[in-house]
Amino acid sequence: MKQSSHGGSPARELTTWFQLRRWLKARWNLNLLLGVISLTTLAAVWELGKPLGIPLISNVPPPSEVIVAAQDLLTSEQYWQGWYLSLQRITIGFIIAQIIGIPLGLAMAINRMTFDTTFPVIEILRPIPPVAWIPISIVFWPTREMSVIFIVFLGAFWIVLLNTIGGASHIDPSYKRAALSLGSRPNDLFWKIILPATIPSIVTGMAVGMGISWEMVVASEMIAGDTGLGYLLWLSFQINAIGHVIVCMISIGIAGYCSSAIIRAAGEWATPWRRLF
Amino acid sequence: MEHKASIQPVEGGEVKLRNVTKQFGEDVAQTTVIQDCTFEVERGKFTVVIGPSGCGKTTLINVIAGYETPTSGEVVLDGATVSGPGPDRLVVFQETALFPWMTTLNNVMYGPVVQRDSQAADIEKKAHELIELVGLSEFSHKYPIQLSGGMQRRAELARALINNPRVLLMDEPFRGLDAMTRQLMQEYLLRLFEGSGRTILFVTSEIDEAILLADKLLVLSRAPTHVKATITVDLPRPRNLEMLTSRRYAELKSEALSILYQEAVSAFAAGSNAAADLVEAFEQRQSVQGKTDK
Repeated sequence: MKQSSHGGSPARELTTWFQLRRWLKARWNLNLLLGVISLTTLAAVWELGKPLGIPLISNVPPPSEVIVAAQDLLTSEQYWQGWYLSLQRITIGFIIAQIIGIPLGLAMAINRMTFDTTFPVIEILRPIPPVAWIPISIVFWPTREMSVIFIVFLGAFWIVLLNTIGGASHIDPSYKRAALSLGSRPNDLFWKIILPATIPSIVTGMAVGMGISWEMVVASEMIAGDTGLGYLLWLSFQINAIGHVIVCMISIGIAGYCSSAIIRAAGEWATPWRRLF
Repeated sequence: MEHKASIQPVEGGEVKLRNVTKQFGEDVAQTTVIQDCTFEVERGKFTVVIGPSGCGKTTLINVIAGYETPTSGEVVLDGATVSGPGPDRLVVFQETALFPWMTTLNNVMYGPVVQRDSQAADIEKKAHELIELVGLSEFSHKYPIQLSGGMQRRAELARALINNPRVLLMDEPFRGLDAMTRQLMQEYLLRLFEGSGRTILFVTSEIDEAILLADKLLVLSRAPTHVKATITVDLPRPRNLEMLTSRRYAELKSEALSILYQEAVSAFAAGSNAAADLVEAFEQRQSVQGKTDK
């Protein structure tokens, strides 16, 4: 008896909880609510950091100041020019990386000679982090603009190259055999079998490469640039406008997220056979 | 099930293997997979090759298809030595080799499109006929990932048939399908090809499937493989699954199994783990039969 009555009450509590959940779901999306709660908590702790004297957090300007800084920045021409220039550098560097990386990767995967001649050079250069290239890039390229684009290029290049080589050299041999049996010429084999079979790996390489490109554009603008979001961030820091620094950080985050979303959407569009079932 | 289209006979299709040997590797690391293999695939017949697992069945198919060159000996198709893959000998693979990035229709059209000797409209018409023949009309614009295992094999069959291959090489095509689908596919294959006069070389490791389909059963030895025995399967056609219970079927199965058993025993003695399962299964079978006979 005792056991059963004991077992009854948590079950009732559970039912009430489920009812509450259903009620919440009907009126408000629960996930959204939880998201709002956690963000509000973050903002509250951050805002109250200074008045309450919480160590470390009080070193950072509170959200109210950041909002003021945002109003200030969002109306300035320099900020929007920063967006424009950073995006331009990303686009140019990233596209050049694809134009060179994808065909080179395919050639290296298909042709033994190309692989054997190119691979040693690549294996020596690849482990060097792109940021380490910044000084030599400034010396090498005639303009700062070119050296920033070059660093962005490096960030995207290695990853798309390696993904293309990996994808193209690990195609299921039965696809190639079937294609050969069915009478494919070398051209057909490349355009109709090897290329489409490699696209998923290329897309993965592009998505990861896009993330690295944003890291590189910020780093190289800080060091070598005189415009762009990364430069604006660094400039704001140097004039001690920390609110502006935070607005720049958030802007770069948004820009990176949107760029990756575009790559993912393009990837899904290019590989319709993978998203269906 | 009635089919509007049916399979037209093609000319030729006689395959002869003359002392084919295939070795891989060099010097110390050299292994011989096929040793002095000689047999004939008769035109218009259903020839089934069965052998213990790991004996080199797939290598044999690869040599006939032209993916591998024999170390010595030759494969002859209608009097001409085979020298590389071609649409006159098409392979239906173990796991599906449909191109995942093409719809069923584009997969089926692939052969004639790359061979470039017919008009696009004709190719598409012919492809639709064959897709209907294999019962996939509703799925002609779907991608392989959207098809079930059995549908994928049928699509692959259509992709091969559109080229009118002189010989169809089927390398354990129903492997990986569940038992029920497998049986349905076997019956389907019988309905499709009985009386069509097509030449088929079918490789399997499943004895029931082998006898159900075969006109002639080639039992392979353990690796390095060669033909150990040839059994003529004289069950009447058209065949159906009920024949698996007939007396003649049991005799044929017994005959084939005892040869496979001997091969497995000697493979086991030579250190093959794969063979151990077969030896054990066969001995159990013998002891059960012994009890029921008494």
